[in-house]
Amino acid sequence: MMKVELDVLRRGSGRPILVIHGTNPVSPRAPFLAPLAEHGEVIAPSHPGFGATPMPADFETMYDLVNLYQDVIDDLPGDNVTMIGLGFGGWIAAEVAVTRPAKLARLVLVDPVGIKLGGREDRDIVHFFNTTPDELTRRAWHDPAKRPEGCYGLGWQATINDAMTDDEMVTLARNWDSLCLYSWTPHMYNPRLKVWLRRIAVPTLVLWGESDGIVTPEYGRAYAGLIPGARFETIPAAGHHPELEQPKMFVDRVVRFLTEGT
Amino acid sequence: MTSVELWNHCENPYPFVPAEVLDAVDSVRASLPSKYCEPEIAARLYDEIWEEYQLCDEIGLHIVTNEHHSGINNLWAASPVITGIVANMTKKVRILSLGTLITVRPDPVRIATEYATIDVISRGRLEIGFVKSGATEMVSGNANPMHIREREWEAIDLIEKSLTSHDGPFSWEGKFFTHPHVNVWPRPYQSPRPDFWAATSDLPTCAELGRRGYVNTLLFGGYDRTRKAYDAYKQARTAAGLPRAGEDRFSYMAFCYIGDTDEEAMRIGQKIPWFLTVSIKSAPQFSKFQPGAVAPEMAPAAWRGGASKRPTDLSVASLIAQGQMFCGNPDTVANQIKDFRQRVGGVGRIIMMTRQGLVTHAQAQKSFNLAAKEVLPQLRDLPPIDDEATIATAAE
Repeated sequence: MMKVELDVLRRGSGRPILVIHGTNPVSPRAPFLAPLAEHGEVIAPSHPGFGATPMPADFETMYDLVNLYQDVIDDLPGDNVTMIGLGFGGWIAAEVAVTRPAKLARLVLVDPVGIKLGGREDRDIVHFFNTTPDELTRRAWHDPAKRPEGCYGLGWQATINDAMTDDEMVTLARNWDSLCLYSWTPHMYNPRLKVWLRRIAVPTLVLWGESDGIVTPEYGRAYAGLIPGARFETIPAAGHHPELEQPKMFVDRVVRFLTEGT
Repeated sequence: MTSVELWNHCENPYPFVPAEVLDAVDSVRASLPSKYCEPEIAARLYDEIWEEYQLCDEIGLHIVTNEHHSGINNLWAASPVITGIVANMTKKVRILSLGTLITVRPDPVRIATEYATIDVISRGRLEIGFVKSGATEMVSGNANPMHIREREWEAIDLIEKSLTSHDGPFSWEGKFFTHPHVNVWPRPYQSPRPDFWAATSDLPTCAELGRRGYVNTLLFGGYDRTRKAYDAYKQARTAAGLPRAGEDRFSYMAFCYIGDTDEEAMRIGQKIPWFLTVSIKSAPQFSKFQPGAVAPEMAPAAWRGGASKRPTDLSVASLIAQGQMFCGNPDTVANQIKDFRQRVGGVGRIIMMTRQGLVTHAQAQKSFNLAAKEVLPQLRDLPPIDDEATIATAAE
């Protein structure tokens, strides 16, 4: 049986809040961690091939990730799991939620990719690997100058500097390779997912950075419309990574959603 | 005794896009709009190079074709198409496709079919070369750049089985390719199949080529890298208990220009490094930041230093000194090739990149004539390499 080892970042205690990361694993320096951890135990694994998590042999598709995260949810304590998916991790979280894990209670998707909405000549999602780092930066951030130190979203290449350690660079390169392996084609989406989003059976919040130029708020609004009962909210002055650009507002929105009706 | 073969490799470059256009774009491959390619000029280039190939057929220079896509460096675009045309227009020389992009193309069975057809058309003059590809080709061909080495080997294995199976359909369910009904017609003219080549300086890959007995070719590797690659090939054969490889298993591609005098050759040869100075400009997402471009542990060196292994001094003299160019009058070039052969421990197939950059049709034909008539005779019946002496020379 394949055994998958995961490096996991944990903060706080209480109800499990599983964070599925995007381009890069959740940084211990991420500004949303501490305020979110006041409301539960934040559990943020690095996907296979990312951060300090090894890449098992022959582990290389979204199918592998979806099954892995079903295992992860099964192994969490209690039956009240919140899953937050960020960007590429939002795609994973949506796929997992479609399978209706028994312990999943709430779902938050933050600027997720994963579905195809436009026509065959419309690009819904900017190509991560066929776009210059400068252009990725421009599209992914409301204000790139205010990127939190030590947190790497899209356009991370533009932040490489002499102060960065070799270990950080090796990790970034490894993350980028692994992301590519999972997502090259069709680029960042599963052609069948759109049809099955209707199976998501837990309360869902779809959050979107108003300035996201990687996947637009219009795409997000349509995405939310395919999930029964999902609520769509935007966060001003934030791009593809609202959890990094507007951490306080991001946590406020998530906490409000988690405490509603409880 | 060894006779070194000379092969002509032309990429059919298109050096006619205005410099201000090339300066303004971030990549002259992959994303350069095709409005800058004038079909009438392209048609003339094809005609000129067909003439050069016919000349090669008459004078005994073998021919290499390849392919690259969406840029000024190469108008071949589909090596099997070009190789098929060359097979039909030539009668004597051997033809190497080096190669079609097997890591980019979705169906190796179709590749095997194309090559089998060409082998029959040429009556057994085809040689099949494999290249790993990468960089801009991954976006031009929409191929995941991760795991391409593994994908390359599976493609090669499937091509080989397709070319050598003659008893009806077989099934293939591999990791990268599946095909439930493989039955290639026509079967190749050569039996069991055309010879295989692969272009690489990656030492584990060279070792595998050695175990398989494929021709190992290197592009611009210079003395040290080439020597190490050939040594890895030889050592792998020894370790596997296989017989020593002949020099025909080793090939090397360099820039080459031959003139009546050294001065003339150096002057015209300086038009060739256009290949390095202009035609490989590519955007960062296609080079150092492309997934799989370098192993993660090599990323710090690549990102901090730019990781370019390309020479910074692109003068002809410097390229000659590094073993990346053969250039001069016929005697000079013959001596350069003989010296290179000694220093790398033997090489039987030299590929000349001559019609490159701004070199004209007439200039290329002149160099080919001198290569065939005045250099080639000096490369016949060379005494065996004394490996011990070569190692001593290399150590110095």
